[in-house]
Amino acid sequence: MSATLLLLLKGPMQSWGHTSRYRDRTTASYPTKSGVVGLLAAAEGRRRSAPIEDLARLRFAVRVDQPGSLLHDYQTAQRWQTGGSTSLVSRYYLSDAVFLAAVESPDRELLDGITQSLHSPRFPLFLGRRSCPANADLLQEVHDGDAVDVLRSERWFASEFHRRTRPQQLTLPIFRDALPGEIGDPRQDVPLSFDQTHRRYGWRDVVQDAEGATVENPLGKRKADPFFEEVISA
Amino acid sequence: MSLVLDIHALHTLPPSNINRDDTGAPKSAVFGGVPRHRVSSQSWKRAIRRDFEKTLGADHVGFRTKRVADLVADRVQELTKGDDAMWDRERADAAAMNLFTGAGIKLTEAKVREGEEKRGAETGYLLFLSPRQIDNAARKLVETDGAKPSKKEARALLDDAHSIDIAMFGRMVADAPDYNVDASVQVAHAIGIHESEPEFDYYTAVDDIVEDKEETGAGMIGTMQMTSSTLYRFATVDLRSLQENLGDANAAVEATTAFVNSFITSLPSGKQNSYAHNTVPELVYLTIRDTRSLSLVNAFESPVRAADGVSRREAGAQLLASEAKQLESNYGFVPVASFAIGLGALTEPFTEFATVTTLPALADQLRSELTAEDPA
Repeated sequence: MSATLLLLLKGPMQSWGHTSRYRDRTTASYPTKSGVVGLLAAAEGRRRSAPIEDLARLRFAVRVDQPGSLLHDYQTAQRWQTGGSTSLVSRYYLSDAVFLAAVESPDRELLDGITQSLHSPRFPLFLGRRSCPANADLLQEVHDGDAVDVLRSERWFASEFHRRTRPQQLTLPIFRDALPGEIGDPRQDVPLSFDQTHRRYGWRDVVQDAEGATVENPLGKRKADPFFEEVISA
Repeated sequence: MSLVLDIHALHTLPPSNINRDDTGAPKSAVFGGVPRHRVSSQSWKRAIRRDFEKTLGADHVGFRTKRVADLVADRVQELTKGDDAMWDRERADAAAMNLFTGAGIKLTEAKVREGEEKRGAETGYLLFLSPRQIDNAARKLVETDGAKPSKKEARALLDDAHSIDIAMFGRMVADAPDYNVDASVQVAHAIGIHESEPEFDYYTAVDDIVEDKEETGAGMIGTMQMTSSTLYRFATVDLRSLQENLGDANAAVEATTAFVNSFITSLPSGKQNSYAHNTVPELVYLTIRDTRSLSLVNAFESPVRAADGVSRREAGAQLLASEAKQLESNYGFVPVASFAIGLGALTEPFTEFATVTTLPALADQLRSELTAEDPA
């Protein structure tokens, strides 16, 4: 039977780039597989050039507990010691977002080992970008069951503020690896190598789970706007 | 065993605009569903680097520039000045060019505008080199008569003797990733602990001459944006990585104490002359851990409101302390050591689990904690 390790990704800022180039550093609207695998590899103290196939092979799913909003950070880099012109960089972040990421493996011991290293990681952990430190309650437990089932049964981690804006019953979207034969949105975020001389990413198909996770929300509004709900859950 | 040092600070700023976005407004982010003031990590890291330069001396701080070749050529000329045959600029430039091409770093001829002096070739990005690396490279070039070094030799010159800021904040070399240095210090964006939105300061400026002629009206009018806030600031130092980057355990401890000092006393200088926002954090909480580093930012997810005779600073200090305490008792993250420094009664909520101290005394306390156990 497979087991699933849950990670809570929550903070004022996080950023999960998968198509970023040069001076425009974008973020996806939910965590990438490469970002989460990178976090696990950092915890285990793997160097950038170390093999990561075992981690990249783990099945991956994300639940969107609170979608957050897009934040644009405009940065100038100046050569202040020698003078000269200024270069401009745009970085995008998700602010105020909460995700529950799940990695699934048939090998429970492997996940228990990862849990140990997440508790006392070799390299500092961050949510997609170094300036976004991982939250204190990042590490949730290892559960029996497959990723989607575990994500369906876990409690909702949204902030009280966000709960008040949502209806009394709602469905949280779950984005998961496609099953064999299933067609999804292709995304190039499977890390093959983090080595900086030849960083490479493979493709995977991402499917939004048809069912999602249904949660009760006693703090919620009695009357919900179906259009708003459709937009925010997309 | 690996140690991490986490530093948390509450820092109140008067109306000011120390870090602006592309519209000139103070940077901001939404957190806990409300807009907050934000100061980017890059901005504060730069303030810390400048502070290093002041407190540790320029020798310990790297140059971040496209004109690295010029720096090396300058040094070559300086070194050969003593002999009777100082290298001319062309020879020094050619030697510097050899060094960087040998290292696999591409240089391109600098575009010079009319009336400007000719400059040496430049890298296509900002490259971080320490003064010691520049000096070692220049010496080697003089010794070998400007010969192109092998990749191995170049590596020994450019990847050794990192300055403190390179070892801490990392180095990125776009066309030769072999020379990259992974940062050992993480600095989070500073974020307001309470809801705030920038305010518009409408101003008028009087024309002295026109006023003397007793004509009324403003010489000019305009608006500036500003904000006043209490920020939560967080950074973490990974001692083992820092030691690897600096190549020495003692240097890592000294660099860490210097970082703590600069983190506390430095400030981005944006609009300094308009606002004189010269404050220091009113509360600093430091933890040394052998587990993972822990940010306490989520203590402020619900925005802080001053109420019932409790000021924003007091409320902030209490929330920070209660978050720290709960991580110890509920999650079992007990630090190896923790210290609190603060003004007035702000350290009171920390007394039961942290050593209350002062900034002048802190450096020695940190040294003894960090060297007590070999961070390797």
